[in-house]
Amino acid sequence: MTQLHPETYREAARKAIGDPVLQKALAGLQARFGRGAAEAYRRLPEGPHLRHTAHEIRERAVAHLDVLLERLAEKIRQNGGHVFFASDATDAVEYCIKVARRHGVRRVVKGKSMVTEEIDLNEKLAAAGIDAVETDLGEYIIQLAGEKPSHIIAPAIHKTRYDIAELFVKNMGIPYTTDPPALTRAARKALREEFLAADMGISGVNMACAETGHITTVSNEGNIRMATTLPRIHMAFMGMERIVGRLDEYEILLRLLCRGAAAQTMATYVSYTAGPRRPEDSDGPEAFHLVVIDNGRSRILADPRFREILYCIRCAACLNVCPVYGKIGGHAYGFAYSGPIGAVVTPLLTGINRARHLCQGETLCGACMEACPVAIDLPRMLLALRETLAYGDAFWKTTPANPLEGLAFKVWSRLTANRRTWECFLKAAALGQRLFPKKGNRLRRLPPPFHGWTRKRDFPSLAPETFLARWRKNEIEVAKDIP
Amino acid sequence: MIPPDQKAFLGRIRQALGHAPHESRNGSHLFMQGPSREELQILERYRQRTAKDREELLEQLMEAAKPVHLCVRRLPDPEAAGAAIAALVQEKAPEPDTVKQVVAWRHGLIDGLDLHLLPEQSAVRVHRTPPLDPLMDPARRHAEREAQRRAIAKAHMGVTAADFCMADTATLVLRARPGQPRSVALLPPVHVAVITLDQILWDMKELFALLRWEARFAAQGLSRYMAFISGPSKTADIEATMVHGAHGPREVHLFVVASAPGRLQYVGQRSTFSALTK
Ligand code: SF4
Repeated sequence: MTQLHPETYREAARKAIGDPVLQKALAGLQARFGRGAAEAYRRLPEGPHLRHTAHEIRERAVAHLDVLLERLAEKIRQNGGHVFFASDATDAVEYCIKVARRHGVRRVVKGKSMVTEEIDLNEKLAAAGIDAVETDLGEYIIQLAGEKPSHIIAPAIHKTRYDIAELFVKNMGIPYTTDPPALTRAARKALREEFLAADMGISGVNMACAETGHITTVSNEGNIRMATTLPRIHMAFMGMERIVGRLDEYEILLRLLCRGAAAQTMATYVSYTAGPRRPEDSDGPEAFHLVVIDNGRSRILADPRFREILYCIRCAACLNVCPVYGKIGGHAYGFAYSGPIGAVVTPLLTGINRARHLCQGETLCGACMEACPVAIDLPRMLLALRETLAYGDAFWKTTPANPLEGLAFKVWSRLTANRRTWECFLKAAALGQRLFPKKGNRLRRLPPPFHGWTRKRDFPSLAPETFLARWRKNEIEVAKDIP
Repeated sequence: MIPPDQKAFLGRIRQALGHAPHESRNGSHLFMQGPSREELQILERYRQRTAKDREELLEQLMEAAKPVHLCVRRLPDPEAAGAAIAALVQEKAPEPDTVKQVVAWRHGLIDGLDLHLLPEQSAVRVHRTPPLDPLMDPARRHAEREAQRRAIAKAHMGVTAADFCMADTATLVLRARPGQPRSVALLPPVHVAVITLDQILWDMKELFALLRWEARFAAQGLSRYMAFISGPSKTADIEATMVHGAHGPREVHLFVVASAPGRLQYVGQRSTFSALTK
């Protein structure tokens, strides 16, 4: 399996753009969901303004995270569940393996969870001799193919039915078919056996509610309900920020989550778990563990410039409208999170210098902010990240990504600050540009270090004379009848 | 006793928020001490609901059910619901087993459907899911639990009641109770739920207001495990083609019968073991 590498962004992006199947799938995905979310917000009884209410709810929750998490843990323990606070990926994985060993777990079924991708849980469980089977149909396909998900909620969009048919024939020995219902039935059968045989079910957490002491999971397939109902043990992994205080606040966020994620008014299944089953219950897990994960989040929390990214509820609406994601797909981002959310959160979690291309690659068009159900200002944070890269930042230990860039801007500001030098420069440039190939009045190629710009497009050439010079010579005609 | 992992973790959060790591922060303002004005209005509306309002809710429910493929039918009484279930049993092919098997909750309303008559009409096995005795020897309890699980895994139809149904989104609300395993609404390819008209609520706001503040519901609150179910299981993971029955039921039927408060409501409201076993 591929390890995370946000540094290969450019190369991977180029490959994705050249892949016609992926391009078609991405265009289809964005056409289906892109505008759907905005439309769904408009149809809210409270109107689209509810997004801003939700923003405030998230702001309040994040500002009181310690209180809310304490309350949640207390409630879950009262109900006989276990709560573990993991400061990083290693802590979380070790806890999981420890519990699995104690209960003699051999087979694990998993519901979709991005945070377990973040901590690379599957690989580490496999290394400990525990098989973890992904049960979301898309994730299952991806796992059979030995790949990583390329979208938060539609992980297998880059696979065609022919790819899937081949995978299923090879792995399940079913007769060849490309019919989606037949393929789904085959997966249902194979996975049903996994569910019934598994000792442990692993899920993520879409949102927890501190007041009631519940974690909730949301799915359309029902795989998460299966994974958290049938095995003896249920372990849920939760990024520490995924919590709200009260049930009425939760209600608003759930409605926005369903709309943002899939333009639905309600997902097919929403489950509220507060602890393990009781002795008289017929089913449900006998042990429930909640693992709350920091893994770099408290660092983000400490920086007011980036705290807002913790309001995210991982709905993927921003991916569905992002023009960059729409071209380069999820894999280019090289980490669990892709699209605009990935471009902000991945540098913060894995190192800004290391993942710098992610925040530099976005266009700052602002579409993500309009699509976000909790109205997160992603463009602002993209800019803030670029600022740390331009000047260096002690808190994030970033070094200027390109020191020459700073020098170039200094020279530029000198040039433009003085009328005389500026006019000299323009004259020299107007003469100098004659050396370069031209097409019409556009330059085909610029000299290094600007040659990258003209690789795919032409650069408008300078007029032989400046506007000002012509004005001075009275060559500019002014319309007389301006009132 | 606060475990050390929690202490260090929350200490880091407090520091990040600009507080001392061991400061105990007052969070009472973050939680509700009583119903909000909006919730009071919602509760009032619920209490004042007339027969005509209920019909309107049912209409809204039927409208919302269409896009999510929940089949809603209105039936005069539990007897008619029992007959409708019998007809469905006839119609549906057995799966995953070769014999038709129905598994049904132990619940006042479901007990009144006379499902035990089914085998006489056709070669159908009907399993019930009685609550397990918490005082029973653990090994025996385990064996009984396993037997129920096997029956549920083999059934081609699961019959449950529901605590509520939200008309706004066509969402069934099921809270965990002994004798009412959650897998009955999950494993069989066909799920049939039976509710009474007065269990239909307007939306999630109303549901949460009731679960928080209306005494007879608030006692159990959201329970250990609450499920929202809106129609059959679905997936669009293969080339964005919508397919039903990815993991859970392929079909969900909801039968709404007239309210019969005296006879039917008792089991739904009690959650203790003794109240359920006679
Ligand atoms: S940033 Fe907003 S739109 Fe993007 S995943 Fe997070 S909540 Fe959804």
